[in-house]
Amino acid sequence: MSDTTYSGPQPLGQTQVQTDFRANPHTVRAYGDELNQLTAEVTRLGGMVESQVADAVSSVARRDVALARAVIEGDVRIDDLQREIERRAIRLIALRQPVAADLRRTVAALKLSLSLERTGDMAKGIAKRALVLAEGEPMLPLTRSIERMGKLVLSRLKDVLDAYTTANLDQAMNVWAHDDDVDEHYDALFRELLTYMMGDPRTINGCAHLLFMAKNLERIGDHATNLAEIIHYELTGEDVLADRPRRLAQDAQS
Amino acid sequence: MPFEQPPSPVAPPSAPPRPWAVPLSGGLGIAGLLAFAASDPEQATLAVALAVAATVATLVLSVDAFSRARPQPAPTALIEAAAQDDAKTSSWEAALEALPDPVLLIAATEPDDVAGRRIVFANAAAREFLRVPREGALLVTALRDPEVLEIVDEALFGRVPACAAYETGGAQDRFWRAWSRPLPSPSGFLALLSLRDETDARRMERMRADFLANASHELRTPLASLAGFIDTLKGHAKNDAEARAKFLDIMATQADRMRRLIADLLSLSRIELNEHVPPSGEADVSLIVTDVVDALTPLAHEKGVLLQAHMPPAGAATVCGDRDQIVQVVQNLVDNALKYSPEGSAVEIEVAPGLTVDQAVLPTSTRAARMSLLTPDRADDVRYVLIRVRDQGPGVARQFLPRLAERFYRVEGQKSGERLGTGLGLAIVKHIANRHRGGLSVESAPGEGSVFSVYLPRSEPRTRAVEPGRLLVIEGQAANQASGDQRSLAS
Repeated sequence: MSDTTYSGPQPLGQTQVQTDFRANPHTVRAYGDELNQLTAEVTRLGGMVESQVADAVSSVARRDVALARAVIEGDVRIDDLQREIERRAIRLIALRQPVAADLRRTVAALKLSLSLERTGDMAKGIAKRALVLAEGEPMLPLTRSIERMGKLVLSRLKDVLDAYTTANLDQAMNVWAHDDDVDEHYDALFRELLTYMMGDPRTINGCAHLLFMAKNLERIGDHATNLAEIIHYELTGEDVLADRPRRLAQDAQS
Repeated sequence: MPFEQPPSPVAPPSAPPRPWAVPLSGGLGIAGLLAFAASDPEQATLAVALAVAATVATLVLSVDAFSRARPQPAPTALIEAAAQDDAKTSSWEAALEALPDPVLLIAATEPDDVAGRRIVFANAAAREFLRVPREGALLVTALRDPEVLEIVDEALFGRVPACAAYETGGAQDRFWRAWSRPLPSPSGFLALLSLRDETDARRMERMRADFLANASHELRTPLASLAGFIDTLKGHAKNDAEARAKFLDIMATQADRMRRLIADLLSLSRIELNEHVPPSGEADVSLIVTDVVDALTPLAHEKGVLLQAHMPPAGAATVCGDRDQIVQVVQNLVDNALKYSPEGSAVEIEVAPGLTVDQAVLPTSTRAARMSLLTPDRADDVRYVLIRVRDQGPGVARQFLPRLAERFYRVEGQKSGERLGTGLGLAIVKHIANRHRGGLSVESAPGEGSVFSVYLPRSEPRTRAVEPGRLLVIEGQAANQASGDQRSLAS
């Protein structure tokens, strides 16, 4: 450990200012505790979703039926936690009547948990299709493409959750601005699958499942940008109004 | 430090070593005087008087001596004991602090309060890996993997030790094993969480499996052809000199291919094994490109292809990296470009220093499809040196782009000419770039040629002077204080 350096995201200089949001300035200590607990629960939910997506993707890659079943069963816990967060947030709004930053934090927790719960559902969907795929012949190059795309999407998800725990606006905006990699992979995988299906009709069944998996992964990527937008709202109080830079770049080119 | 306690300013004064010495010597004197009085009746009155005086003096003196020698309930003794205790705990703490594996102490109050699980101590390795302050951070902000949280709960509330394995994502995968142990605590719950990096072991395992699979699969074809020719030479072509010469030529080509394949496989395995360890040296990309162009010019001449290099002067494009590996990157890219270039075309090599990640991945042409094959973890203050190799070959259709860096992948229907590649060139480039925390992207379209871009972090003079990780270890307290403020959830 000591002779290698951690390569993850570096803390940014600006974090200092933003974190003041989440210090506990309340005279009623329990209020601040409740807010912190809400954020902690959302982070925990994020961790659960992250590992569900990772497990779902690796159940496809390794044709691991047991792992896929575990993912499908594990989705209940995500739903439970999401409901719990919702309950807490509503209770907090009702009892404490938060305003300004506190209100945004509560509302953001609500919205984030919903978005994360949907992401969890998509992981479950991938795992279900993994079960079907495991019954057929292995399609190694294609599942490898899914694995590659899954890794990319996971790194988005990790970045945006890291941004949430550290209240790092820049990092969140980075995730928001760089969704094009995932889309590119999706487009390429789509064409690849079409080529396969046209080449050999026997692969249509498996390929159709892979196509839906790719779509699910692409939507998880969209959820990551959505999470980034919610974090932006929580920290600044404003919606992200600008278009994605990718679209702007394309406009400039044409 | 804990062993160099300064002497206490209120150290106990040197008490008379033996308080009984006073009455003893006094008593002896009195006895002597009484004996003298008994032996000499003339002086008896004087001696008895002296003895009485001596007795009184002895009594006074010995009372004083005993009162001074009585064990003092003074605060000095207590302070000393406390200082010793402190020295003991701080040396335990220093030992934990110095452990190479991340170690965390986690305290909690009640099971259903997630925000109540706090890190009460994080050693230097944990602070560096998890980016948490020494104490006070919430556990979930540092680690949110559900399995790890579960084993911590088991140790905290179930009071049983547990163990789990988990992965950290990002460009370079790391594998960790986490152990949790319950600790006694007078108030609330306390547990120890210790992490160990098992990336090396896991990579080693995977490398062995991959190597066997690849070697058995890819070496079988040339081996079968060699065996076939040997059979023919032993059999009916035994005395045919012309056929023998031809067959031996083919066999030499196949043997050469096997040799290159094994060399590439070994080199790829070595790179993959060290992928999570960033390189420490420095390399000048301009010099490397010059060397590679010089080395490959004869081959380019032979094929009738022009090699053009545009780059900044030596010293302007220095990257943190392993020189031999970067040579391998440039060589593989240029070699590939030459392989697919038609006669009379040109291969351009371009080096550009000091770009941000967004500038480095900017597309060069609107007609070609762009695909990034490797994206580094984002770090905003890093500048990159870009190496771009452009050829005028047949190009690659969009749907094949994402798989280009896969090992042994070959675009369908494409011939790489008589000098067949091993199919590992781009995989090697990708893994070297990943080890250097760089990126790789490709732009191509059928009939438009291909552009491969590798970007590697530029070496910055200031990062060489002070390595932030080390700083954290040396001046523990001050550095932690600073990073501690950046954590948000701590109230």
